Amino acid sequence: MMEFKTSEGRIEIDAVRNGSSFTYEGMTIHTGNELWLEIDGRKHKAVATKVGDIWWVHVNGHTMQFELIEPGASSADDEGGLTAPMPGKILEVHVALGQKVSAGDVLMVMEAMKMEHKIVAGSEGIVESIHFAEGDQVPQGAELLTLGE
Amino acid sequence: MLKRTLVANRGEIACRILRACREADIEGVAIYAANDSGTLFTELADMAIQLDGEGLAETYLNQEQILQIAIDNGCDSIHPGFGFLSERADFAQAVMDSGLIWVGPSPDAITKMGDKMTARITMKEAGVPVIPGEEVSGGFEEVLEIAPSVGYPLLLKATAGGGGKGMRAVHKQEDLESEAKAAMREALNAFGDDRIYVERLLGGSRHIEIQVLADKYGRTIHLGERECSIQRRHQKVFEESPSVALDVELREAMGEAACDAARAVDYEGAGTVEFLVTPKGEFFFLEMNTRIQVEHPVTEMVTGVDLVREQLRIAGGEPMSCGPLNMRGHAIEVRLYAEDPSNNFLPAIGELKKFIAPTGPGVRLDTGVREGDSVTPDYDPMLAKLIVWAPSREEALQRMGRALDDFVVLGCTTNVRFLRELCTNPDVVDGWTTTDMIDRLWPDGWSPNIGAQIGNAGLLIAAACESTNHGRILTSSGVESAIPSPFITINRRFP
Repeated sequence: MMEFKTSEGRIEIDAVRNGSSFTYEGMTIHTGNELWLEIDGRKHKAVATKVGDIWWVHVNGHTMQFELIEPGASSADDEGGLTAPMPGKILEVHVALGQKVSAGDVLMVMEAMKMEHKIVAGSEGIVESIHFAEGDQVPQGAELLTLGE
Repeated sequence: MLKRTLVANRGEIACRILRACREADIEGVAIYAANDSGTLFTELADMAIQLDGEGLAETYLNQEQILQIAIDNGCDSIHPGFGFLSERADFAQAVMDSGLIWVGPSPDAITKMGDKMTARITMKEAGVPVIPGEEVSGGFEEVLEIAPSVGYPLLLKATAGGGGKGMRAVHKQEDLESEAKAAMREALNAFGDDRIYVERLLGGSRHIEIQVLADKYGRTIHLGERECSIQRRHQKVFEESPSVALDVELREAMGEAACDAARAVDYEGAGTVEFLVTPKGEFFFLEMNTRIQVEHPVTEMVTGVDLVREQLRIAGGEPMSCGPLNMRGHAIEVRLYAEDPSNNFLPAIGELKKFIAPTGPGVRLDTGVREGDSVTPDYDPMLAKLIVWAPSREEALQRMGRALDDFVVLGCTTNVRFLRELCTNPDVVDGWTTTDMIDRLWPDGWSPNIGAQIGNAGLLIAAACESTNHGRILTSSGVESAIPSPFITINRRFP
């Protein structure tokens, strides 16, 4: 039994192992130096590599990511935070501490890759903290501000 | 004949030019910023010189430093590629003033075409049709004044610009003020000039451009069109030649207009005249790009002309080598970007842990990256251009689809799947490509259509790989390491 996180949520998988082959939902993957997926007698080359905790998988022209969840890890997700989609610079801060905002409001404008991006409130809330000021450089994934209920 | 050419660029286009130099028996000199050390283009050069400084302004845009390197290393010419200094008339002038050859048109031609207003006037005088619009230099208040006379929807773009920067579409008056401010600020940041141009946005139009070539012996020819309508955020992602929208008469009319445009500024070398073509078959001059263009391979595939080689030949004072043209088959180029198409095409970064490019007949890859390279936010997120040629458009789309299925990029999010789905999209297959098609087809954003079976297959593969430590072996000390190269083991066996 193994658990992964995808963009759709958490999924568990229980594949049947037979030597270096694994079967699940009528499909078989043959592992070794090369990966071959077998579906209904047709084989498909697959390529996979692990970056950090994430398995990147390419098969049939699709690229997918599966983040391994270590057994016993908590399921706390970082909800409520608004993060920088890219490394860049904060150009404008449109809100003040304690301000009430509605879903869709522009909270900040940042510049990344020479393009401007708006940081937009995903839901209604009150600005609890603002972590950066105009002109600040921010790394990717940095929490820019926090909205509370 | 050129003897030693400095390539004032990086990445994919530097590779393209350096290979052409090698083929033409011209020594190629690469320049690179410290963070480009060890990348592919530096290896394709006969000499690679590191630039001092950090950031674009101190490196690839540093005219003085680049010119000094060219002089110090005995170069007789500079090829600017595209982007960076390629459309800087002052740099072209400085290069010529130092007694070196500028691989491109004269500074005068760059100036006339580089300023949208001057280009418009020059084109009007030359009898080339232009779109209704006006320039604004007096701040956003003036934009508010002019907008009603131009009409909605309208397009704001940097007068000095290009590449989608400082470009904004405005559909209703309420949005005008904020969009105009943003456009002016982007223009100022990107080009140091906040003048913007307001013009009518011609919806449902196609972006079709004509490649021209002109030498010092009075010959100016066109090499047919490229259709570049499929764009996201005003940047092209899918380009093809020929265009389904052009018949022989329209092609000749636009080709002649493009040659007139080039002649009007005494153009020399390779250039591209961009037109907007309305559903009624009217065409309007958009701009002329006074340099080699990203999508030039499409034209090379259907005409058989090596455009970069012709640039070098023309700059060296020789006549162009191509005779009467015979366009054959169909070519398509897609631009592979490090970006997330399911998240508004936001640029992505990461390490290219796997980068396996497709091969096979009629498949060409122009890239500056290879497996193991890091994609950083320092430069443009374009990773590669994949170009295919086939006898017909239908076969070219099928070949592109197959090639994109084979393209493996792991470790960094890319638009490969988005491009793959374009190849079978009914509008693309039928040739209904317009500049607004991505917004029209996916108004709420695009997301990949992964079937349940492939999703399960992916999950199975991830689980099997995790169970078997795929791609990794445990050494006797218990430390993980990559599979050793066979060459290392051979070396061990035969010391």
